[in-house]
Amino acid sequence: MQTATHMLRTGQRGAGFQFRMAVRDLTGSFGRIGLSWSLAWHDVASRYRGSVLGPFWITLSMGLMVLGIGVLYASLFKLSLNEFLPYVALGIVFFGVMTGTINEGCDTFVLASGMLSQTSLPMLTFVWRTVFRNLINLGHHLVIVVGMLIFYGQWKVANVPLALLGVILMVLNASWLSLLAAVASARYRDIPQIIVSVMQFAMFMTPVFWLPDRFGKHQIFLDLNPFYHLLQSVRAPLLGQTVEVHSYVFLVAMAVIGWLVTFAIFANTRRRLVHYL
Amino acid sequence: MTAASITCTDLTIRFPVYGADAKSLKKALARAVAVGGALGRHAGVTDVTALSNVNLSLKAGDRLGLIGHNGSGKTTLLRALSGAYEPDEGSIEVNGRIAPLLDLGLGIDPSATGYENIRLRCRIAGLSSKEIDARMDEIAEFTGLGPFLAMPVKTYSAGMKGRVAFAAATAVECDVLLMDEWIAVGDAEFQQIAHKRLLKLVERAGILVLATHEAPLLKLYCNKVMRMDGGVASEIVDIRKLDDLLAS
Repeated sequence: MQTATHMLRTGQRGAGFQFRMAVRDLTGSFGRIGLSWSLAWHDVASRYRGSVLGPFWITLSMGLMVLGIGVLYASLFKLSLNEFLPYVALGIVFFGVMTGTINEGCDTFVLASGMLSQTSLPMLTFVWRTVFRNLINLGHHLVIVVGMLIFYGQWKVANVPLALLGVILMVLNASWLSLLAAVASARYRDIPQIIVSVMQFAMFMTPVFWLPDRFGKHQIFLDLNPFYHLLQSVRAPLLGQTVEVHSYVFLVAMAVIGWLVTFAIFANTRRRLVHYL
Repeated sequence: MTAASITCTDLTIRFPVYGADAKSLKKALARAVAVGGALGRHAGVTDVTALSNVNLSLKAGDRLGLIGHNGSGKTTLLRALSGAYEPDEGSIEVNGRIAPLLDLGLGIDPSATGYENIRLRCRIAGLSSKEIDARMDEIAEFTGLGPFLAMPVKTYSAGMKGRVAFAAATAVECDVLLMDEWIAVGDAEFQQIAHKRLLKLVERAGILVLATHEAPLLKLYCNKVMRMDGGVASEIVDIRKLDDLLAS
């Protein structure tokens, strides 16, 4: 059994001590990663209790959105459906996972307050729960992705290993954003609305359902948009396009800096978080 | 395995209590702009010293009752012993597996069935899926809820919820059981089997810490008693001196 049989808590302070405790939280959460996974499955199962399609309801509505937006924009911009529909499908599915991970991050600690205030479970266990829950949703939505790639013959050019690398970079980045959202939302209850608005704005500013080559001389706005690089690193390989090297540089740098900063914030607020709730 | 023990040395816990204003980023920003960030930054935040210099030493077989008025720090002490609250000063050391039964709602998902909730609680307590499968029948029998376990917990009465929570929480072999008040849930029949289980736990060389207002409960379960008053703890005395302690 994994439950600790010895617990020592001291009132020691200092940045070094707080950091060590945060690292212990991290390793503890990895040690019980199965718990995060069980909690995530429980969330998915209980959200769709009693519905026949289960989580595929969201997949279905997402599929309809893909069709609607795909056909509309293809005719507005006079694009061929063969190319545009898979493009929009991948965009909506993967951007949806990013948005879900970050938006639901706001509730991570708030929803876990009952457990956090009477157990010594690692706090990051609940962050992984949110991340896993969205990965499970992605697993369902892959139906759309695979369907599109097969129907339009893109599977012949798709570079799956490179796309997987993109997914890993996406998860690494979305998870620190999720943790940051969780800490900030625990302290300030009006943060979630702000994050939802920002993510909605980001969806329109990112080439999710429009083509980036129409940007012309405003290219700089794309290059500075982290969501563009995140999306591109997954979508481009699946459509047989190349990902620019600077996108990878950007994403790796973003993951490293993002995690360092967020982890420092987590280390500093960890012992107070339970009182925020 | 070492025997169960609890040691608190000069345990002090302070925490900020945030009012609605302090939880708003917009208001915090507005205040920071309005007063230059210096004054009023902590408006709506009250610092509370919930425990001050608590010293506590319990060994296997001890059944400690915590008494005291509302807000005297009983629950805070239990939460600290569970590992949720970290000390501001002093230290807490607990040997043994801790089972906190502080909140009936821990890990309870109202829309999930009794079975699913037992599963969830046992996962949180550290059991693997296989271990839970192996014990499910026994836990289900202990709750005495039979076919109701397949129904959503939101349809349960408070007593039924208590049965599920208590059965699941004590299904894990634990050495230190922390309980807050609600031991009184359930009907007479359930109280009796719960009572047996608690006694068994204590016989297994465990420690029980129970916070309650009711003297009969204390006399039933505890052999020692400690009084909390404004975050300050009294000496631990034998349960036979309960009346003296209550009178003082």
